[in-house]
Amino acid sequence: MRTLLVLALGAACASAASPDGATHDNWPHYGGTQLSWRYSALDQINTGNVKNLVPVWQFQTGDYAENLQSTPIVVDGVMYLITPRIQVFALDAATGRPLWHYKYPTPRPGKPGGMTFMQNRGVAVADGKVIFGTTDNFLVALDAKSGAEEWKVSVDDPRQCGCDITAAPLVVKDKVIVGGTGGDAAHRGYLTAFYTKNGRFAWRWYVIPGPGEKGHETWKGDSWKLGGGAPWMTGSFDPELNLVYWGTGNAGGDFNDEARLVPGAKGKEANLYTASVVALDPDTGKLRWYHQEIPDDLWDFDSAYECVLIDREINGRMRKLLVHMNKSGVTFVLDRVTGEFIGAFSMPEVQTWISGITEDGKLVGRVEPAAGKVVTTCPSAAGAKSWNSTAYSPRTGYVYAPINEVCNDLRSESDEAVEGRFHANGGFTFKLPPGRKTYSHIDAWDPITRQRIWSMPYRYVLLASMLATAGDLVFTGDPEGEFFALDARTGAKLWSYQTGAGNRGSAVSYSVAGRQYIATPTGWQQAITGAQLAPLFPDQNWRTGSTLIVFALPEASK
Amino acid sequence: MNRALLLFLVPVLGWSQSAGEKVFAQSCATGYCHGARGTPAGAPRLAGRGFDQAYITNTIARGLAGTAMPAFGTTLSRTDLVAVITYVANLNGIANPTISLGPGGPGASGPAEPPLSAEAERGRVLFFDAIRGFARCSTCHEVNGVGIPVATPISQIPASPGALRALATPDVRTAALDGESRGETMPALIVSQTKKRALFYDLTSVPPVLRTVDPATLKVTQGSGWRHESVIGSYNDFQLTSILAFLREAIKPQ
Repeated sequence: MRTLLVLALGAACASAASPDGATHDNWPHYGGTQLSWRYSALDQINTGNVKNLVPVWQFQTGDYAENLQSTPIVVDGVMYLITPRIQVFALDAATGRPLWHYKYPTPRPGKPGGMTFMQNRGVAVADGKVIFGTTDNFLVALDAKSGAEEWKVSVDDPRQCGCDITAAPLVVKDKVIVGGTGGDAAHRGYLTAFYTKNGRFAWRWYVIPGPGEKGHETWKGDSWKLGGGAPWMTGSFDPELNLVYWGTGNAGGDFNDEARLVPGAKGKEANLYTASVVALDPDTGKLRWYHQEIPDDLWDFDSAYECVLIDREINGRMRKLLVHMNKSGVTFVLDRVTGEFIGAFSMPEVQTWISGITEDGKLVGRVEPAAGKVVTTCPSAAGAKSWNSTAYSPRTGYVYAPINEVCNDLRSESDEAVEGRFHANGGFTFKLPPGRKTYSHIDAWDPITRQRIWSMPYRYVLLASMLATAGDLVFTGDPEGEFFALDARTGAKLWSYQTGAGNRGSAVSYSVAGRQYIATPTGWQQAITGAQLAPLFPDQNWRTGSTLIVFALPEASK
Repeated sequence: MNRALLLFLVPVLGWSQSAGEKVFAQSCATGYCHGARGTPAGAPRLAGRGFDQAYITNTIARGLAGTAMPAFGTTLSRTDLVAVITYVANLNGIANPTISLGPGGPGASGPAEPPLSAEAERGRVLFFDAIRGFARCSTCHEVNGVGIPVATPISQIPASPGALRALATPDVRTAALDGESRGETMPALIVSQTKKRALFYDLTSVPPVLRTVDPATLKVTQGSGWRHESVIGSYNDFQLTSILAFLREAIKPQ
């Protein structure tokens, strides 16, 4: 009865002017809903009783190669969880009892090209299937009931493109859209859509326009062929506007633009459509609008991250907005109907790469890496925030974000682009900004007034996603293993639990038979950002692992 | 004698270290993976770990399965490979390493291979041409370890572009599915069929899709409407001639 009521409310909201970005009993998509709020409408667990939260089950994946970064997907009491080595588990979401287990055959060893990653951030569930990307660049669909393979298709050969799939795919109507890595390899980034029913190809959109297409003229010579821009994370979808939104990576080679910048392009739009937010027609893959956030991104600030779709009133008028942060920590607010720039604000406290942003969204006072010199900029290429996601609560109207205060020394070189080979045109060395005792904070920002409402400092870095709930709680975890709940209105810490391993995953909330659960993946990672930042803190002891821990209120106190 | 040897070694070592350091800086020490001079960054520290030479050579050349460490034996030239192995050996206190790669082993795809003729090289580029997206040969064919092996390895090379277009393999049949997918028929390349499951490539569009179905729902008949010319339409005759030249040079007769 309760389930029916929730469904009915959900349907009512969906037909209203503003699409509902909240999840209810299920956690159906990577970002919660296709609007990517990472917000649950469940409020059984709230500021008053969160102190009673206890673990009710846990699941050890046994895959300790890397940390557990994935977002669990929960549909009708079944949780689908994927691990870095592409093991997929279907679990009873109330008890953790395994229903089936799928293990991807090990990709042929010794053949990866360029830079591929062993991470997986989640599956998509739709049309009775569980769909995910692999470390060797296949998209695979399993029968959600049995875990048996239904179809499998090669998106590209990693030995050639130096790319693979780490993001959760996004299901939009009858298609599944997936991006790939390869932004720092010599590779031309793209999104590809396949039909969920049978895996057949639907469309591909290249981030970099080909000859004759608008935007192609922003690339010097043949640099467009291997110019990067990979959209390596998961996009969003507005069903009413029928637009899919995606962030694109920076152009390659990252730290030196000599080979890719058209003469005279400095200070103008460059290397389209890299470092941008784009809106595409999900039926055809055609570009509808774009907004380039960092023209000629020379800092590896990758605009590849979540597009948060919210409706808010601005100057007395209800606007359909898109809120988007790249690794610089600058957060852009756009009109998602047209792509019009509305405002921007910067979340990190130490910002030296620019001196500011004009009212129409132009970056000023850029401090660029230069050949033959070491240039120090903040924030770093690891990001004020990288792929780990923000959350948005419609109750408070705030965006919640974990922000790191780390700088880097940038080296700029000019290397030849060789297809599929790593191509950063330099590199970086991380360092801590002087005069601080804390190097990260969790913030609540109002994206309309662009004001920071509260901030909770933390001594190390924070690399887990945020979860907001209608209980006015914000959940996330830290590398020391604490998984905790903050008051969404004040930032006060209301509850914390030592999970035993570093937190680098994305927590979700769902409900089975009237009981609300909070589930979080745990386990620090050995490669890429997590381990890159670890040497900055000689006293750290961030532990690896691969366990999903699920919390609820004790049965008696619900 | 010792002094003479030392004099001889120093310049060699000096050369090797700087060449190796350059390769290391570009391919390994970017900050994304290892740090400068073997310090830890995204990937572990490499300096002063006490690695032995066989381990260093093998790991760099073949990669570490199950980790992000790639096999540089397939991507670096033999010269660069030897230089970077020497550099990492130096970082581990091995001053004058003996590096054994073996003929045809890692790094053999570098300058040791006889170069392709100009036409075959044009054909190679076309065969793997990423600009064509899925409309390239390597969507279905693996040659020299690159490409998706949907088709069985190429063993017979057609004489002309015309013959290449006309290729109609009897391996492609027509699959009809009933049950939930009632009415679906498609050109299919059967991979395997047991009592429990049938695997086939659906060739309706490119890229081919590997489908797994219950054999009870599958009916396979001989022949199909599929023709090789329908999937190689992005190439003209001139380009196909170059591709055939590449295949003749790259594929050794069995």
